[in-house]
Amino acid sequence: MAGLSITSVKKRFGETEVLKGVTLEIEDAEFVSLVGPSGCGKSTLLRIIAGLEDPTSGDIAIGNETVTGVRAADRNLSMVFQSYALYPHLTVAENIAVPLRMRSLSTSQRLPVIGPFLPGAQNKRADIASAVQHAAEMLEISALLDRKPGQLSGGQRQRVALGRALVREPAAFLLDEPLSNLDAKLRVQTRAEIAQLHRRLNATFIYVTHDQVEAMTMSDRIAVMMDGEILQCDAPSVIYEDPSDIRVAEFIGSPKMNILPVEVRDGALSLFGQSMGRAAEGAQSDVFQLGLRPEALRLAESNPVLTGSVTHVENLGAEVFAQVDLADQTTRVTCRAAPTERHKVRLGASVGLSFDLRDALIFDADGKRQRRFEASLSQPVEAA
Amino acid sequence: MTRDWWKHLVLILGAIIVLAPFYMMVSYSFKSPGEIDRGIGGFFGRQEMMIDPRCVALRQPGRADIEAARTRFPGQDDAGVQAALLAETEADCSMRPAVFNYSKAFTEAPLIRYLLNGVIVTVSIFLIQIVVALPAAYALAKLKFWGREAVFGLVLFCLLIPVHAIALPLYIMLAKLGLTNTYAALVVPWTISVFGIFLMRQFFMTVPDDLIDAARMDGMSEFAIVWRVMLPTAIPALLAFAIFSIVAHWNDYFWPRIVVTGNRDLFTPPLGLREFKGDGDGSFFGPMMATATVIVTPLIVAFLLAQRRFIEGITLSGMK
Repeated sequence: MAGLSITSVKKRFGETEVLKGVTLEIEDAEFVSLVGPSGCGKSTLLRIIAGLEDPTSGDIAIGNETVTGVRAADRNLSMVFQSYALYPHLTVAENIAVPLRMRSLSTSQRLPVIGPFLPGAQNKRADIASAVQHAAEMLEISALLDRKPGQLSGGQRQRVALGRALVREPAAFLLDEPLSNLDAKLRVQTRAEIAQLHRRLNATFIYVTHDQVEAMTMSDRIAVMMDGEILQCDAPSVIYEDPSDIRVAEFIGSPKMNILPVEVRDGALSLFGQSMGRAAEGAQSDVFQLGLRPEALRLAESNPVLTGSVTHVENLGAEVFAQVDLADQTTRVTCRAAPTERHKVRLGASVGLSFDLRDALIFDADGKRQRRFEASLSQPVEAA
Repeated sequence: MTRDWWKHLVLILGAIIVLAPFYMMVSYSFKSPGEIDRGIGGFFGRQEMMIDPRCVALRQPGRADIEAARTRFPGQDDAGVQAALLAETEADCSMRPAVFNYSKAFTEAPLIRYLLNGVIVTVSIFLIQIVVALPAAYALAKLKFWGREAVFGLVLFCLLIPVHAIALPLYIMLAKLGLTNTYAALVVPWTISVFGIFLMRQFFMTVPDDLIDAARMDGMSEFAIVWRVMLPTAIPALLAFAIFSIVAHWNDYFWPRIVVTGNRDLFTPPLGLREFKGDGDGSFFGPMMATATVIVTPLIVAFLLAQRRFIEGITLSGMK
């Protein structure tokens, strides 16, 4: 068990720069998710941590020890792959035993016929067998030990892959989209099991996913990656409620955050020509972007800030998402309604929307969050 | 009657064309020379007793034999004893044509020795081909190195070179090294199989990279990955390659004919067929076809045994 530190790691494949100087500190026993759209470099980063890929520059340290240039096997990390990567010709027990056999048995002791009879081999083999048994019990796959991977279901293979990872008691677990080959129901179940496993083992987990729900539900911290950079690394609630970049805000949260253009002139903030409030600070004139979560928008009968007509409704039972085309604009926003309000958001109905400016996030034209500007906003007019 | 009957008709015709030579081979191996010459006797021939003329010629009773046998035929003159001895010899030398053909196949030439040579040569070639092709194919399929595509291009290019084009330089090289008339001459030129490298490389391309990365994480060296991960997953492809390789080299007549000159201890089975190629006094088709039957039988048996595994292997994607 150990923490990890990644220091300004860069990676380029030919002309394309996949990682542009990533720095990340991971505490011992922490569960960190690397999340981002495909092609953002998260898998490459994981492979560099694992030692399967060499960084172009930068350093990786595991528990204060620099491992750059160290062979993957000697870093004592375990990896779970998206395709499980079980050895198809070995049984489940043999699959789980491979890392231990490679580590503790000598080359001659691994020989098929005479190997078991060499001095010291018996004890080591017994140790390995009991470690395999222990791992199998923890993952509830004891009954499957004699089967081949081809005879297992996806979920069972996933457990075997986890077993192979945890049996070597690694410094850290690296998981590369381990749930994406499972069906939706099994995914939810396995998600909970991996989180439990993390608590039980109290080990460092680095989890790569493109699924924000997995990242939100399992992690201690989420590192949102885009275009080869970590945009923000924080606890899930911070990432959701207090993103520092518009790309993070848009990526996390489903349905997506609504982005509306706002204008600032001499400290006055206006949205589609309506005055929204005044800012004491940052009185420069600029075009900013206003981020509003679907749940920040309310249906309003009187004095609506925005009006429009409902073009699409998604009823999820516990909540209803309505897409509203704003009246004077080509902008479309998504708004969350309670099931009791369902009759108000029928298709084609015209609705009024309002929001509390305190729920809104303000970004500059480049997408950087304007926290000081937000803090200095006052709301003179009753927007709601 | 299905509407696909004509497809079956075409297939049946094809099967007949392919099987007819085998039918003739097996049939001739049962028949007497007379039946073969006249083309009678159906598949098995009539299996009438026949006299082996060479056996009789070799055991023609001489003066000493007549003297020694005189006591057994009291009251006969020399001509009488000779006639009686001749009759005995003919009785000894007469047998069923099938027995005649097959016993000739094994006694006239050291066929067992040839079969053993065939096994030694084909198995050595196949094993060394695997030892060379698997690591090469792994490197071409899964490792990144400068010039990989160029090397693979060379492999493809080598596929285009016919064996016969390079037979002469190969022979000269082997002769200069003093290797003609050795097992090495039969084996060494075939140890690097570009076809094997190509076939295995194509198969390895389908093995997920994750599996190799997992093996690396588990602490295997690149060579361990080749032999402990890639080899077991490649069994179906190896079986397919084994059929190509073993059939080609077991049946090869051209190359052994070139590098084995004279030393019959090194003859491979197809060279054994030459034993019955009578130059002046006509060919012994019966024993020759019996030899041919003996030579092809191991291949057919091996294929029938491996067939299920082979087809299973090809239909199973193996990895998923």
